[in-house]
Amino acid sequence: MNTNSNVYTIIYTSVLVIVVAAILAFAATFLKPAQEANVKVETMSKILAAAGVAQDNLSNDEIIALFYNEVAATLTVSAKGYDAEEVVDKDGKPQIFPVSYLKVQSSLIAKGQQDEGKFPVYCFNNGLKVVPIYGAGLWGPIWGYIAFAEDNATVSGAIFDHKGETPGLGAKIAEKPFYSQFAGKSILDEAGEFVSISVVKGGANGSKNGVDAVSGGTITSKAVDTSLRAWLGAYRNYFLACTPMPLNENVEEPSNE
Amino acid sequence: MWRNQAMSENLKNVLLKPIFKGNPISVLVLGICSSLAVTVQLKGALVMALSVTIVTGLSSFVVSLMRKSIPNRVRIIVQLVVVAMMVILVDQVLKAYAYSVSKSLSVYIGLIITNCIVMGRIEAFALGNKPGLSLLDGLANGFGYGLILVVVAIVREILGSGSIFGFQIIPQAVYNAGYMNNGLMILPPFALILLGCIIWIQRSIQKDLQEE
Amino acid sequence: MEYISLFVKSIFVDNMIFAYFLGMCSYLAVSKNVKTATGLGVAVIFVLLVTLPINYLLNKYLLQPGALAWINESYADVDLSFLSYIVFIAVIAAIVQIVEMVVEKFSPALYSSLGIFLPLIAVNCAILGGSLFMQEKEFINVGESAVYALGSGLGWFLAIVALAAIREKMAYSHVPKALKGLGISFITVGLMGIAFMTFMGITL
Repeated sequence: MNTNSNVYTIIYTSVLVIVVAAILAFAATFLKPAQEANVKVETMSKILAAAGVAQDNLSNDEIIALFYNEVAATLTVSAKGYDAEEVVDKDGKPQIFPVSYLKVQSSLIAKGQQDEGKFPVYCFNNGLKVVPIYGAGLWGPIWGYIAFAEDNATVSGAIFDHKGETPGLGAKIAEKPFYSQFAGKSILDEAGEFVSISVVKGGANGSKNGVDAVSGGTITSKAVDTSLRAWLGAYRNYFLACTPMPLNENVEEPSNE
Repeated sequence: MWRNQAMSENLKNVLLKPIFKGNPISVLVLGICSSLAVTVQLKGALVMALSVTIVTGLSSFVVSLMRKSIPNRVRIIVQLVVVAMMVILVDQVLKAYAYSVSKSLSVYIGLIITNCIVMGRIEAFALGNKPGLSLLDGLANGFGYGLILVVVAIVREILGSGSIFGFQIIPQAVYNAGYMNNGLMILPPFALILLGCIIWIQRSIQKDLQEE
Repeated sequence: MEYISLFVKSIFVDNMIFAYFLGMCSYLAVSKNVKTATGLGVAVIFVLLVTLPINYLLNKYLLQPGALAWINESYADVDLSFLSYIVFIAVIAAIVQIVEMVVEKFSPALYSSLGIFLPLIAVNCAILGGSLFMQEKEFINVGESAVYALGSGLGWFLAIVALAAIREKMAYSHVPKALKGLGISFITVGLMGIAFMTFMGITL
């Protein structure tokens, strides 16, 4: 058989492409559930970390169990603030929103349609509320989770992650020296007005509304600052609405229903 | 008896040569790209070494099975498709069962496709040899490659972070006495300098490899 | 993201060679003299500049999760991202082949200086790496991907020409026998990399 003829070459490559595509499609479909579970566990782990729950050396299953043990409910709320509603996944457990969901919500904020948004709030049994933030860094998306104490203004912890910031510079936002600065900061100024938390050089000095930017990662720090302002701004009305009664009915056990 | 003296000699050669005398990284200078960026920590280096070994072995095996039927004009593309398929499979498996490692290796798993050692072994060996032998040749070359990776990673992790697999091995007392981790070791350029030193040592032992 | 900042960052801070070690095989093999190094460097810039925007469009309208929504809303949850490696490498191999044929046909002079490097480039990690980083960095439009391609190509070009120049001079120096050639090249690249790291401090 002539392996150099045109017909043979075309048939050979077509068969090869079909076989390879079939193998890959099968593998991708088969492995998808496990991959999605990993992404979900990672999100859970970040939310727990923001709320200060220790989870060293835990397996995936243990993290899932711990998460449902700590988190009472997931709410979504628009920037209007009074339309909070509880969301559950198909098993009736608190819903987990992946990073791709944050991207969609973030584009709503950018278009000024935050009143149509459905921004997630993870309510913990101990009264903490964890909210996500999302934005564009220097190279790709950055995101994070901010935990608020029961007064809905004081940050109890925060954690950030990114897709491809420069190692050693912008990537430092995902490291402890940066995110540990957030604990104890407030999104309200002395007069009780909303001011977000600014990320600026030397910003940590004595201010309860600012933290230090990462050195060398100017654009990434600015991106964190912008995302905080945009997202916490979107949650402002919700926080105001539920602050007078810290034990909000949405947050508490279903005994009220 | 087909398994005569010459045959077992050949087999031994296929298995042992890539590990030291014909090491893909330090002697043949193949596949350096992806190797160095992942050597900050031993864990990443080990997974990378394992992935490269599997990809090299299996691609050599598959291409060797097809070697008589591949149309010559599209040879390179066919080989690339086979290699890319293996790499995607490895990537998908890692994403499903070793998520954190796969995240830290990011694009470097994908870059195994263009790792010269995979294509190099297919061109130089698998196209002219039986599948079984090609599989062994691929695995042995992957292993030789992994060996260098692991050595570089061990040195960088001990000197740069004072740990192995993330466990602290340099005792706290040493730090209290004034010892500090060498931050330079963590920086990318140091992988190159270490590799230069490994080659220096190897060529001091094996004088026939020295360049004029 | 500003184009200039992206451009400068991709040349100096995120240099393909010094920060990510991409394309090291041909980098070390073809850096013995400045002339051939320049040829390979130009070829890398050129191929990056052609393949990256194409792969960007493919990624945006075919591969990434939900990318098929532009055909029909019902395709919105199709995720073909597992095919990206194979599509990218096929595009690169095909483009290199086409470029080689076009250059040979229309500019024999250019072909004789650049052509011999083109087959080498299909399996150069810097080219595939460029596409993979492009996918990871989620650029907003084709312009950004082209600027990134130009920047990282230039960075690679600078790195190979600089190394070739140093190696030409190094031929006259007394290097220990066992370190000659490959060994000292690695150490030189490492030292150059450390020098390039000073660019990390710049504010853009």
